[in-house]
Amino acid sequence: MLREMAGGDRNALSALYQRTSAKLYGICLRVLGNESDAQDVLQEVYVTAWSKAEQFDPGKASPITWLAVLARNKAIDQLRRRKVTPDGLEAATEVADDAPSAYEIAESRQESGRLAGCLDELEDRAGAMIRRAFLEGASYPELAVREGVPLGTMKSWIRRGLQRLKGCLER
Amino acid sequence: MTDHPISEAHDQLAAELALGVLNGAELREARSLARTEPAFRQALARWSGRLAPMLDDVPPVDPPHGLWRSIAGRLGDEAPASNVIVLKQRVNLWRTATAAATAMAAALALVLVTRVPPQPPVASPSPAPMVAMLGDSSGAKLVANWSPEARTLVIAASADMPADRGHAHELWVIPADGKPRSLGTMPSGKHMMMRVPEPLSAAFRNGATLAVSLEPAGGSPTGSPTGPVLVSGALESA
Repeated sequence: MLREMAGGDRNALSALYQRTSAKLYGICLRVLGNESDAQDVLQEVYVTAWSKAEQFDPGKASPITWLAVLARNKAIDQLRRRKVTPDGLEAATEVADDAPSAYEIAESRQESGRLAGCLDELEDRAGAMIRRAFLEGASYPELAVREGVPLGTMKSWIRRGLQRLKGCLER
Repeated sequence: MTDHPISEAHDQLAAELALGVLNGAELREARSLARTEPAFRQALARWSGRLAPMLDDVPPVDPPHGLWRSIAGRLGDEAPASNVIVLKQRVNLWRTATAAATAMAAALALVLVTRVPPQPPVASPSPAPMVAMLGDSSGAKLVANWSPEARTLVIAASADMPADRGHAHELWVIPADGKPRSLGTMPSGKHMMMRVPEPLSAAFRNGATLAVSLEPAGGSPTGSPTGPVLVSGALESA
């Protein structure tokens, strides 16, 4: 047991970093668009992964998926913190809380690898909007303004898209 | 996993929360449901899993050198939990993660399991004094100073860590071969000094680890550690 434990978890974390950091840094850069923020968030991702490791359930998701979603969520938090708007207070309350639910992911074997195909099948640009929302952290109002459509239209595109997506993945 | 039934409206809200499009009152409602409703949490976890493959297509980019050092430096300050179970779970996560996928990962995991530390340079008499910070996930607990000429090891604790009746804290040095050698049980109190006899002192080199394990009173009956490791740290040139 001693041989396993003595310094082993720190060594293991170092190996984990070597194995996963390029993937996670790529995600942080994609969401945040600048290196300095992406580096800050990447550090936070590994420190959080270290302290929340007990919430990782290997029966439900692969470690790389767990870490990738953690990196994406942390990057989007940072993005929201950065958006200093007149309603800064409102924005501050919208930065994700540290609820345990933030670390729960349930993957389904059948579904993995099929998402891209299912997204491409969607109509009304819903697939593109869903990709943009997930990777850029854009909210309904932001997406509606960028696309020049009414808020209600954007909501119904995405809601219908999500519903079809679920149907497609479960097919 | 037990299935919690969920209404279509709530499943949709969980999807929107996982996607990140909500704001204002809807966001607050969704977060509150995630805190209180098991069915909602399960739906949220499923949606996170459904959407996660979008991250597969993001191209990897190597982070700058030196970032790992800052992360390793920060780890000492974090993580309030310090019990052995949490530590074991961590090791499990890193193991599973490193074992996943590629051959490179498998090779790394093998290195971790067999734990072959770097071999010390051949024929280095290592006369330099050395120091080790022994800690757990919540930070350093003991500082050990090694003086090679006098073959003395001085240990200072940041706080008294008495063993309860029926147990003892035993100190070990683990040299490059990975085999722990007992340095004896530790007296309670914040300081201790010990002389290390000749053959054992050869183990005090760069890359060796010092560790304290929990043992039955009087020390390990087998000559090898039998209980959980409380703190550990690598010896480095002072």
